[in-house]
Amino acid sequence: MERAVPHAVPLGQMEVFQALQRLHMTVFSQSVSPCGKFLAAGNNYGQIVIFSLSAALSSEAKEESKKPVVTFQAHDGPVYSMVSTDRQLVSAGDGEVKAWLWAEILKKGSKELWRRQPPYRTSLEVPEINALLLVPKENSLILAGGDCQLHTMDLETGAFTRALRGHTDYIHCLALRERSPEVLSGGEDGAVRLWDLRTAKEVQTIEVYKHEECSRPHNGRWIGCLATDSDWMVCGGGPALTLWHLRSSTPTTIFPMRAPQKHVTFYQDLILSAGQGPCVNQWQLSGELKAQVPSSSPGLLSLSLNQQPAAPECKVLTAAGNSCRVDVFTNLGYRAFSLSF
Amino acid sequence: MLAYKLTTEDFEHDEVIRKRLLIDGDGAGDDRRINLLVKSFIKWCSSGSQEEGYSQYQRMLSTLSQCEFSMGKTLLVYDMNLREMENYEKIYKEIECSIAGAHEKIAECKKQILQAKRIRKNRQEYDALAKVIQHHPDRHETLKELEALGKELEHLSHIKESVEDKLELRRKQFHVLLSTIHELQQTLENDEKLSEVEEAQETSLETDPKP
Repeated sequence: MERAVPHAVPLGQMEVFQALQRLHMTVFSQSVSPCGKFLAAGNNYGQIVIFSLSAALSSEAKEESKKPVVTFQAHDGPVYSMVSTDRQLVSAGDGEVKAWLWAEILKKGSKELWRRQPPYRTSLEVPEINALLLVPKENSLILAGGDCQLHTMDLETGAFTRALRGHTDYIHCLALRERSPEVLSGGEDGAVRLWDLRTAKEVQTIEVYKHEECSRPHNGRWIGCLATDSDWMVCGGGPALTLWHLRSSTPTTIFPMRAPQKHVTFYQDLILSAGQGPCVNQWQLSGELKAQVPSSSPGLLSLSLNQQPAAPECKVLTAAGNSCRVDVFTNLGYRAFSLSF
Repeated sequence: MLAYKLTTEDFEHDEVIRKRLLIDGDGAGDDRRINLLVKSFIKWCSSGSQEEGYSQYQRMLSTLSQCEFSMGKTLLVYDMNLREMENYEKIYKEIECSIAGAHEKIAECKKQILQAKRIRKNRQEYDALAKVIQHHPDRHETLKELEALGKELEHLSHIKESVEDKLELRRKQFHVLLSTIHELQQTLENDEKLSEVEEAQETSLETDPKP
């Protein structure tokens, strides 16, 4: 894990060092500000940078507008996951979750608001936190990661209220089912588990790899991405990207994508997915591939749709992954430009 | 004016040419015509004979009417330009209105697109579920099959019962038979033993009495 620029290095070497840093950068997470005009991105060096979307999208955007407006070192390890409440940016990495005030960040202050560590079973292990989820009804945050549990933290008091156990291997992704307050989690053990937040119990388990139609044993059984739309769920990763009907736990449509998908989301009447391979794929619910739009990174890890009502002119899709660039799609049909670290 | 022209022409030649080029083509001719008129007027004032004077007078009148004609034309052109401007203003406002109308229509259409997308999504969800349901066999058929199987089961169980009853009966009959045989055997053996014992007694009685 590399830190920021070392001291007392001759100029040529520093430039080489920075270029190497950019070459090996991976952007793991993104989050849109509550006003909709800024995008935060976290990379594997623990830095969080803020891009100004309104400046980059405006008609007199120059090359500098596509560079970050604020950069700060947030974590010691990679920033795996970020999420925004209406005033804070919450980021999580190797074992710790920290929060920052958006207003402070935009004024170039980099002091964290609070930092917490969920109660781990042993104090020796410091498992990474792979996914964060906000539950607005309860005003709480759910963390999940390497210790195979889902921890719930109340945002007002900062106390950890529940620890949901059931996964046998680490958890990759979380999704919230709004109608009944249920959380879906998918992990390395190949199962998607639904948890009821009120009773803190597991209500349903779908073992994706056991279904012949979608399992791909040569890829493994890990579930890399989850998205849900009340009655329906789409998940992918090792097994093929599949659309499930939750009530009956049946796989209804299998999307013919070879490469394992790392991020998936529902958008209007489409399903957007991205993973290994440079393209953002758009699927219809019937299983047809509507479009495949190439991006500038060789592989994508995260997609973010800016649907904040306060900034309708910044309504874009941003994709980031195994490179130092964040691609901006103003229209789902093509890549408009790239923001760069 | 003539003296003025003579002095300025040398220094402001370019100015004059530029001004003349700026004014319409007719204007350049007009300027010259007015100069000629002035010159001919002066000549006419200092001319002698009656006929020449009269013809010069006629020529001057014609140049004057020509000048008035071209002035009338320029006034009409000016009027026309003003009206053209008004017309353009009107068209500009109309176009602005239609742009605003088009914006509204676009917003309407966007809403309709969203609605249509929602409908399409619902249809596709329905289709997906329908496909899954189709895989499973029809409910009526399954019910019929279940009924038929139930009936067969009943029938077979009846048969089994009757066969078992028969078996019981036979078993009981055999039991009775065997027990009677056994009893008969016993009685026969008993009889044999009795007859043996009697014989033995008889022979002992025969050999015994010897006083």
